[in-house]
Amino acid sequence: MKKKVLSVLLAAVMAMSLAACGSSGGGNSTDGSDDSSTGGGQYDGVELTYWSMWSNTEPQGKVLQEAVNAWMEETGANVTIEWKGRDIKNILASALESEEQIDLFEDGYERITSTYVKYVADLTAMAEEAGYADQSFAVFNDWATEQAGFLPCITEQPQVGGVFYNQDIFDDAGVDAPATWTEFLEVCQTLKDAGYAPMALDSTYAPFFFGYHLARYIGQDATSELAKSGGWSSNPLVAQAAQDMIDFVKAGYLVDGAPDEYPASQNKMALGDPQAAMVVCANYVTSEVNKTAGEELNWGLFNYPSVEGAADGVDQTAAYTGCNSIAITNYSENQQAAFDLALFITSGEYDQQMADTAGQIPADPSNTAPASQTGTVEALNAAQSSLVWNMGLNANADLTSSIQEVVVQLYEGQFATGEDFAAALDALY
Amino acid sequence: MKKRKAFIIAFILPCVLSLLIMYLYPIVRTVIMSFFGIESVTSDISEWSFNGIDNYIKLFESPTFQRAMTNMLLIWLVGGIIVLAFALLFAVILTSGIRFKKFFRAAIYLPNIISAVALATMWIQYIYNQDYGMLNQILEALGLEGKRWLGTDMKFWSMLVAFSFGAVGYYMLIFISGIERIPEDLYEAATIDGANKIQQFGSLTLPLLRGIFKTNITFWSVNCITFFLWSKMFSPISTETSTIVPVVYLYDIVFGTQGNAQRDAGAGAAVGVTLAVFVAIIYFVMNKLLKDDDLEF
Repeated sequence: MKKKVLSVLLAAVMAMSLAACGSSGGGNSTDGSDDSSTGGGQYDGVELTYWSMWSNTEPQGKVLQEAVNAWMEETGANVTIEWKGRDIKNILASALESEEQIDLFEDGYERITSTYVKYVADLTAMAEEAGYADQSFAVFNDWATEQAGFLPCITEQPQVGGVFYNQDIFDDAGVDAPATWTEFLEVCQTLKDAGYAPMALDSTYAPFFFGYHLARYIGQDATSELAKSGGWSSNPLVAQAAQDMIDFVKAGYLVDGAPDEYPASQNKMALGDPQAAMVVCANYVTSEVNKTAGEELNWGLFNYPSVEGAADGVDQTAAYTGCNSIAITNYSENQQAAFDLALFITSGEYDQQMADTAGQIPADPSNTAPASQTGTVEALNAAQSSLVWNMGLNANADLTSSIQEVVVQLYEGQFATGEDFAAALDALY
Repeated sequence: MKKRKAFIIAFILPCVLSLLIMYLYPIVRTVIMSFFGIESVTSDISEWSFNGIDNYIKLFESPTFQRAMTNMLLIWLVGGIIVLAFALLFAVILTSGIRFKKFFRAAIYLPNIISAVALATMWIQYIYNQDYGMLNQILEALGLEGKRWLGTDMKFWSMLVAFSFGAVGYYMLIFISGIERIPEDLYEAATIDGANKIQQFGSLTLPLLRGIFKTNITFWSVNCITFFLWSKMFSPISTETSTIVPVVYLYDIVFGTQGNAQRDAGAGAAVGVTLAVFVAIIYFVMNKLLKDDDLEF
């Protein structure tokens, strides 16, 4: 009898444990149900599920939670945020395919316009009605619309690439931001003569630096084509671009140890001896270096210099632009509410707060960029055409890491001539 | 008897069902997927297109996959020799009756209880760093020039040394348990017969550890084939060829990379199947080469 009682008890405990496991659901989520307003709001009774690429302990996550709370208070809707972190890209496609309960989600707009495009709502009409064009950068909307065929997402955290520099060092050396490669080399020499290391470079960003330079000579499309099919040696401008970099390295314009392991080299903009003056990267580098320095450097930004002898029609003003965006699922039953929430987060007060707290570019051009992002809004407004990450060098998924290695070797000084570099790339095919 | 059979079935059924659903189904699905062109892991079957063995041909022709396999084999062979040799050496020393045995055993095993992320960060930032890393500081103190330990030509070996450092303790413990199983009177008899310590090691310890060697080599092989975290730590933002291994390659082609959203779950499945075949080959080779102990002691 005792055994029977014990068996029943154990079975009950097991069943309860299983039930407990089953009910835990998403785990790391914040449900706004306790905060819902007193009624009478625009979206009373509307339930939204928001998959975020941040964690709720990061500055972006904290501001997002505040914005969502304020929106719930204002509209009466209830929003559950699921904090998925950066690995959201690994689970999102499967979740969308199975039409999991998601109304809004965040990810890079490159993936939204390709991987998830089948599952996102067309926001064109809602955007027009809300006057979204006036609250956003055209460069992102245009690119996303061109890729997807419709407006698939709302820009949340814009990024822009270029040469980020320490204005105090430039002032001390008496140089101004250069516009051409020749002027850029003169600036580097002046900085070196003044006792500074002109350029920081971590190996992870080596393809970004070289990608920019190559895209100035042959353009991003030609770079993508070479990355996919090879034939680097057949285009003399590839060797020319590589030769420029070989000369740049030989002239001693890289900071000691570069190309270094991320983030050792970029940190030398704050802690180096001699201090590095510039880095070719996207805008988030400024916040990262500031964090290392424990103080705000006096940042400036100029677009990557133009080169002479480029192929016909190559835009010498193109800049890397990218962004994390908010998309709405096309199976969401509350697309208008989700759109309003996305707009609430990415414009006005909370967008400004996001920019200030996380040290990033505001999504709403009428907001003000923090000091670490000086020049970025102007760069985005001036961007005529967009370059993607690594400007086409990543176009061959299978060879991306192999191409990156050859590019890092270029900065390590392993090639005597630009032709050797092009031949090393061709050897990968 | 009938009642008893029903009981047996009732107890076994949940376990069998779980195994079929959670273990057998994914394996069968992965094997089938490896012969199809599939973009996403969870794509509907209606979206699959039959590729025959094209996924495998594409894989074995890919220079990146070839490099990943080469890296994995180097980790297995070179790392295996280093790790198992040190593990055996430490095991023999610690079972030879030295003082502070427990302290040394704990100290050597310690890296295993530290998170691999912390361990890798320590190696990258404090040991290999060019400016203030321990290795270059030592070289400079000796009047030598510092090296670029994480440059493209050295990074793989730096990663291998760091990984091996953390792995020795685990295999040492298994060797220790094997050595302690050998009866003391065998050594006493050998001593009376005039065998010195080295002869005892060669003629007694090594042959009687054959089964333990098989266990350790199998564990090491599985560990190398599923190698992932250390590779990710040594190339944190974008995958680098010098540290790429098959599982990282699989991860990149299944989920896409920064700046390239292309995905190929079919090729990813083919990588998974290839690795599983490797595990099976190693298992059978080990069984053929190192037969189970035919000695009883």
